[in-house]
Amino acid sequence: MSSSNDTNSGLIQVKYNDQIVRMFTLATIFWATIAFLVGIIIALQMAVPQLNLTGWLTFGRLRPLHTNAALFAFAGNAIFAGIYHSTQRLLKTRLFSDGLSKLHFWGWQFIIVLAVITLPLGISQGKEYAELEWPIDISIVLIWVVFAINFFGTLLRRNERHLYVAIWFYIATIVTVALLYIVNAICIPVGLFQSYIVYAGIQDALIQWWYGHNAVAFFLTTPFLGLMYYYLPKASNRPVYSYRLSVVHFWSLIFMYIWAGPHHLLNTALPGWLQILATVFSVMLWAPSWGGAVNGILTLRGAWHLLRTDPIIKFFVAAITFYAMATFEGPLLSIKAVNSLGHYTDWIVGHVHLGTLGWNGFLTFGMLYFIVPKLWNTELYSKKMANIHLWIGILGILFYYVSMLAAGITQGLMWRAVDANGQLVYPDFVETVIRIIPLFLFRALGGVLFLAGYVLLLYNVYKTIKQAPKELVEETVQVRISSSTPIHPERGHRKLEGMAAAFTILALIAILVGSIIEIAPTLSINKYVKTENKVEPFTPLELAGRDIYVKEGCYTCHSQMIRTIQSDVLRYGAASTIEESMYDRPFQWGSKRTGPDLARLGKKYPDLWHYMHMEDPRAVIKESIMPAYPWLITSKIDFDSLQKKVSLFNKLGVPYSDEDLSDANNRAKEQAKKIADVLKSQGVKEDVSDKKITALIAYLQALGQKGGE
Amino acid sequence: MKQFALSQFNEIYLIVIGFFLFFSVFIGAIFWVYRKGSKKHYDYLSQLPLREENRT
Repeated sequence: MSSSNDTNSGLIQVKYNDQIVRMFTLATIFWATIAFLVGIIIALQMAVPQLNLTGWLTFGRLRPLHTNAALFAFAGNAIFAGIYHSTQRLLKTRLFSDGLSKLHFWGWQFIIVLAVITLPLGISQGKEYAELEWPIDISIVLIWVVFAINFFGTLLRRNERHLYVAIWFYIATIVTVALLYIVNAICIPVGLFQSYIVYAGIQDALIQWWYGHNAVAFFLTTPFLGLMYYYLPKASNRPVYSYRLSVVHFWSLIFMYIWAGPHHLLNTALPGWLQILATVFSVMLWAPSWGGAVNGILTLRGAWHLLRTDPIIKFFVAAITFYAMATFEGPLLSIKAVNSLGHYTDWIVGHVHLGTLGWNGFLTFGMLYFIVPKLWNTELYSKKMANIHLWIGILGILFYYVSMLAAGITQGLMWRAVDANGQLVYPDFVETVIRIIPLFLFRALGGVLFLAGYVLLLYNVYKTIKQAPKELVEETVQVRISSSTPIHPERGHRKLEGMAAAFTILALIAILVGSIIEIAPTLSINKYVKTENKVEPFTPLELAGRDIYVKEGCYTCHSQMIRTIQSDVLRYGAASTIEESMYDRPFQWGSKRTGPDLARLGKKYPDLWHYMHMEDPRAVIKESIMPAYPWLITSKIDFDSLQKKVSLFNKLGVPYSDEDLSDANNRAKEQAKKIADVLKSQGVKEDVSDKKITALIAYLQALGQKGGE
Repeated sequence: MKQFALSQFNEIYLIVIGFFLFFSVFIGAIFWVYRKGSKKHYDYLSQLPLREENRT
């Protein structure tokens, strides 16, 4: 199908917008550096707690920065570069609007800069991978809409009637990410820098992980599969192994992925039927995931020699292999028994990085090595350097993954070890931490290797661009308009494949089915709440303390969910119930236990213990790796906003007493004074009755003390 | 209505019907992509990324 016959009529000239692709490419390369660097810093902080230098450099604040930078800045810009580059060529047309493209680019970079500023300042909604505060949420949605208009506008003015499978993946991405992000971020602002999520407790947990897992599905999987379906055939110069397989695995993938979210909540207080659904669909996901991976690898049939000679192909094949590994492990971890061992440990962290470093990272690197020379109209500076990058990178990922796998299984086994009398063998949590600290260092080494390989990419790209011609002409091609003369008659599914609107609606239905069946029943939480389990709301001061807990990102290392498994109950007390967190906005069930679970922390230790522990954890527990929070002792509680917060919570259905409602401010001050007086009598010199530490202690002492068991 | 739907979750026949529904859609999709005359179409589609237009 070439359009070389120039004598035919219907030939038009199309000039691609490559400038915008170049901009997104450079942004990808820049932000990747930041995301990887922050990753290494927080990896080291876990082994050397003294590296938590100041408030805004603590693990709890940098970890959200790392995840958001990796997700939205690195993967995001890479997706935009790849989509804009491949879509123009697949549809034989220029992007819909140069203005929208520019707005998309600068808007997105502005959002990232805002994230880089606000997250270290502790401005956070406290929901994983969705920490950004509401003004940034709104900007993200607006810029995403700009992207959607630009993309669908391009679709409308295309000169190729048929939509290649990569375009389907892009469409599913755009539609689903918008839905996920908006639903998960619905909140009520109480100021420019703070808001409360409308969902509470279990609803919030369910919606958060519906979002969280589908961020993996529709931000890190579908767009990258689309990129794979374009760039792998392109780089190997052969069509995809089986187009039929791509059709079947596309629909299976988007239909099933949306159900899998609750596998992040296995063995928790989540209703059993949701856990079963999540497990079933996660296990079924094996098939479409491997369908994609096999389709990718077998595209190289008859061209395996490229695997020896072409670094780009090597990166792609390594990426697909890592994808296959990660999507093999995912369903495995979604089986309740396996999950009870792996959940809350570093195994999950290893699993995630197998996907992000291996699949997303390597696919992006392959894509960069492929498009940078094309975009700058030159050759890649050094193939050899790209090869070295590949091997250092693989070594880094293996170091990372193996150490985290070992750390996770070691710690998981230690948590559940019981002796002949049914007692915990390692009742001190910190014992299980000391054991894996060497593995934390190994992990950091893996990260350093991965970054070292990446530095070679930086240099290689720099040299490539430097040797490029000064004047870059935008690629202009001759396109024969095919719409007037169809290549063959349209029937049935062929028509569907050509109709972007119908296709988009079908894809939307596919993802809505699972979402509605899972989420709708829990929106009326009262069905699951046992009314005999009465729960008291947090007092205004405890609420202020909870805000500090969220702001400092305590949930990045501590869970508040005692699972329904024996070892959890032995260590932390009776399993958590739905009722206990029914007023929690946002829920803080957590996903990782670098430190112990806190669901029933209240009254376990005296106030003074908490005071000393927050000031310097190692003064109380010698081997602790928790950051110190000395600034909590000097900075003041924001009493004035409490009135507003309490009445907002009351409107949302939290049963506050009339006294709390009318006088939240003073009630909080009274409670703070009591705590400060006790601390003073025990030897604390400063008056801390208006300091943040007091509110935090009040909150920590209230955990598990409000009824609902 | 919703309560009713949820109470049916233990109903084995519904689960089996649900399973067959999903399964038949999946099998249907496979038959669909192997429908008569689809090969030519899919060959055309799979060549789309490889078609280089003439540069000017």
